This record gives sequence, structure tokens and C-alpha cells, in this order.
Amino acid sequence: MTRWNEDVDEVQAVSPDITDETNALPAKYFTDPDVWEMEKEKVFSRYWVYAGHENCIPDAGDYFTRTVGDKQVIVARDEDGDVRAFYNVCAHRGSKMVADTPMTDPGNMGRIQCPYHLWTYDLDGDLRSTPRSFEEASLNPDLDDSDVAGLDPDENGLLEVRTDSIGPLVFLNFADDPPLSLAEQAGKLKTRLESLPLEEYQHARRYVSEVACNWKTFGGNYSECDHCQANHQDWITGIQLDESALEVNDYHWVLHYTHEEDVEDELRIHDEHEAQFHYFWPNFTVNMYGTADGYGTYIVDPIDEERFQLIADYYFAEPELTEAEEEFVRTSRQLQEEDFELVERQYEGLRSGALGQGQLGPNEHTLHRFHRLAQEAYNA
Amino acid sequence: MTADDVPFVACCPDCTERTTATDPNEVVAFYRRHHAVTGHDVSWERTPPLAADVPADPDVDAVVAALGDPDVALGAVSAAASEWGWTVGETLDAVHDRRLTGALWEPRDDHVALV
Ligand code: FES
Ligand SMILES: [Fe+2]
Repeated sequence: MTRWNEDVDEVQAVSPDITDETNALPAKYFTDPDVWEMEKEKVFSRYWVYAGHENCIPDAGDYFTRTVGDKQVIVARDEDGDVRAFYNVCAHRGSKMVADTPMTDPGNMGRIQCPYHLWTYDLDGDLRSTPRSFEEASLNPDLDDSDVAGLDPDENGLLEVRTDSIGPLVFLNFADDPPLSLAEQAGKLKTRLESLPLEEYQHARRYVSEVACNWKTFGGNYSECDHCQANHQDWITGIQLDESALEVNDYHWVLHYTHEEDVEDELRIHDEHEAQFHYFWPNFTVNMYGTADGYGTYIVDPIDEERFQLIADYYFAEPELTEAEEEFVRTSRQLQEEDFELVERQYEGLRSGALGQGQLGPNEHTLHRFHRLAQEAYNA
Repeated sequence: MTADDVPFVACCPDCTERTTATDPNEVVAFYRRHHAVTGHDVSWERTPPLAADVPADPDVDAVVAALGDPDVALGAVSAAASEWGWTVGETLDAVHDRRLTGALWEPRDDHVALV
């Protein structure tokens, strides 16, 4: 028995064949703090991770911060209009410089200034100025002011993080030499998203919720709809679940949901008569609704092994929502709350240690892909 | 600190176990532990004066709207709802129902806000 009594029996690697009994990621990969430590390096420092939306920082000096694992980043638009990312770490003695919640709402700053000793950087990361105390040696009797060499602005600038984008969606990669380009990791998702006018839509809402489960637990829940019939009563009315399709690609999978009746063509950003929910490894989703002219994104942001934050953003033609759009967002929130309840309950079960290794059904091939990717990352 | 300095007091009417707290969410934690072990509910005995008006008729959303800027501790919602004679368990159930209809959400642990 591989699946029960984890203390007694060994669990197995996620089998490549979905019909094998050992096809799920063993439970300890969801609950063990050491696994989360490993994921910070092997997952979140190696693959492309979503940072945020360009539209939220339209002008030079606009910025937001992101925390990815232990790393904190400032994503800012520079004077040339380019979006760049820097470690939120001062080149002087390493202080954090700006607020470091997992994702701050956009702010604006002319320069990046460290509050500790006021080293100040340009938006391209170059060191712009230091206080006089760094240019003169007045407190040091062994030195003359003329002995002070001065600091090279480029050498002493902020450490930049590699970025790339798909349309207005900005991604980060912390690896010195990323194993994949963003285009390679995104594959067909890139082509698909780039064919849509994503940049024409405006950020309208953000909800950041703290949820008590491992990030992959929620990721798995997002990736299947076998639970929908029993748990999303309101949502499934109007959706033809049996005519839905699950598409699996290398690093992303898509759940296509057909609507019972055609919704009006104007009511969506894309042409197809369906909702499309894209999960992009490791922790990002793009939600194309079939019944609203807009789209959403989720960042499934781990806090530690047993908590994550869901950052849910909604984009519509206008940032001021119509009554119908308000109602749409409310329904979407309802769906999230229902899912939070499911994943928190599942996680309590997982944490009990009774289940060493779960088992995926034949139609949970999206999850299987997810679990295989996790395993691939851990072993790499 | 004397007992008079403790603004929040709640107790279990079934077994008269009492708790005092400076943070209303401690009462929520007390309720959860006590309820898990005994199945009993917990009622409020004393709460400090509220910073906002609570409507006369029971309405959780209105309390969250009145107290929640940007969000409000679950315990504070419950303390306010005690004006309607609600127990801690009754408030938590009502909040749960409102969350599951998408009217309320939880931006941080044990704090709720209006959607
Ligand atoms: S650590 Fe930033 S100025 Fe000193
Ligand atoms: Fe769900």
C-alpha cells in the first residue's frame, strides 16, 4: 500500500503514466517546510514568474514591489518608458529600500532612495547620488578628503533582474542562465495571449486574500472542474461541463468551458464561445471569461508551505465598472471563496499525515501535468 | 493591568468558562478552541464602545461597512453583532455565509472586508 501509512511505506515518484496508482505528488511535497525551501530555488528562482501588468505603471517612476520566495523586487518604469526590475536591496549595505508586501499597489517615485543612509538611484538602477558623508572623510583622521575615490554610478548601481513580457504581462526570471526563455516556457500561450488586445483593458479591481494551504493545493484545484458540480452551484448553471475540454501543454494547461447558450459576442475579449482558464506553471493564471468583456489574472503566491496569497486582478474596458461588471466580479469572488473553503479543508486533511500519496483520476491529466512539472523541477 | 482594563470579555454560558482579551480576535480563537472541544458557543459579556454605529437590525455587511476600513477583525464584527444578541458562533456562521456568496472577503487572516 503506497498511499496510506506514510510512516511505514515509501511513496513513489509521480509516475509518467496517469493510469498508474502512484501518479500524484506525494503529500509531503505539500506540507514539508524543507520542500518550500527547495522550491524557492528550484521553482521560483528558475522558471519565469509573473511580476505584474504594465498598465498599472504607465508613467516614468511608477513602480510596484513583488516578493517571490525570499527575493524582493521593485518593478518600475524608467525614463525611456521601459519596464525593469531591480532587487529591492541597496548597493551600500543591503537595506531594503521600499515597502515589501508581496505585491504593493503602484506608487510613483522620481528616484529610488534607500532610507538607511540615503543612497539614491536613477530609475535605470545607476547610483545617482550619495550624501556628503560618502564623498568626504571628515570623520576619519587617517584620510584626507582627496583620498576618497568616489563611486562609479554603474558599478554601484542596483542589481537588475531579468524581465520579459507577453503583451502587457511582465515576467521575472532570477536564474543567471534561465533554462528556458519566456517564449519557450509559455509556448502556445504566448501566441494566444498576444493575439488578444490585453493592453487595451484597464486594471479595475484587486483582491488579495490569504489562504491557509500550500500554493500547489490551490493550483491543483484551479486545474480541474470535477469538483464544480458539487461545489459551485451558481457558477455551473449556464455552463456545459460535459462539453468542456482540458488542453495540456508543456508548461501550461487550459480549461475550456462551453456556455449552454451563446452569450453575446460583445461580451468577451476573445472570439471563442467559451470561457478559458489558463494555468501557467508555476503560479500564474489568466482567466478569460465567456460572459464578461474583460479578463482576470491570479497570482498564487506562496507565503510559506502552509499559506499562500491569491492576488486576483480584474481588467475591463473601463476601470469604472458597470452594474453588470460589479455583479460579475462578485460572482467571481464567490467562486474564489468556495474554492478557498475546499482547499483549506483538503489541506487540513493532507497535514494529518494519513495520506502519503494521493491518486489522480483519468480526467485529472492537467493536475498530473502540474505534479510532473513539480517533480521535474525538484529533481533538476 | 486590572480586570477593568480588559475591554473584551466573553464566556461560555454552558460551562461558564470565561475569557478576557484586549484584542477581539483572541475571543474568536477562544471560541474556536472551546467549540472544537465542547461544541459550546460563546457569548459576549463586555465590549468597549464601538467606533461606529451598528444598525438596529441584524446585517453583517452593514457592520463590516461601518467598521471596516480597510478591513475589520472578525472579533470586532462579532463584538458589534453582540448588540443584536448574537453569539460568536452565530457571527462566524453569518460571515461564512456572506463570504460564500462573494459579498465579503478575507484580505488577511481573520479580517474581513466588503467586496
Ligand atoms: S544601506 Fe542603503 S544607503 Fe546605506
Ligand atoms: Fe473551484
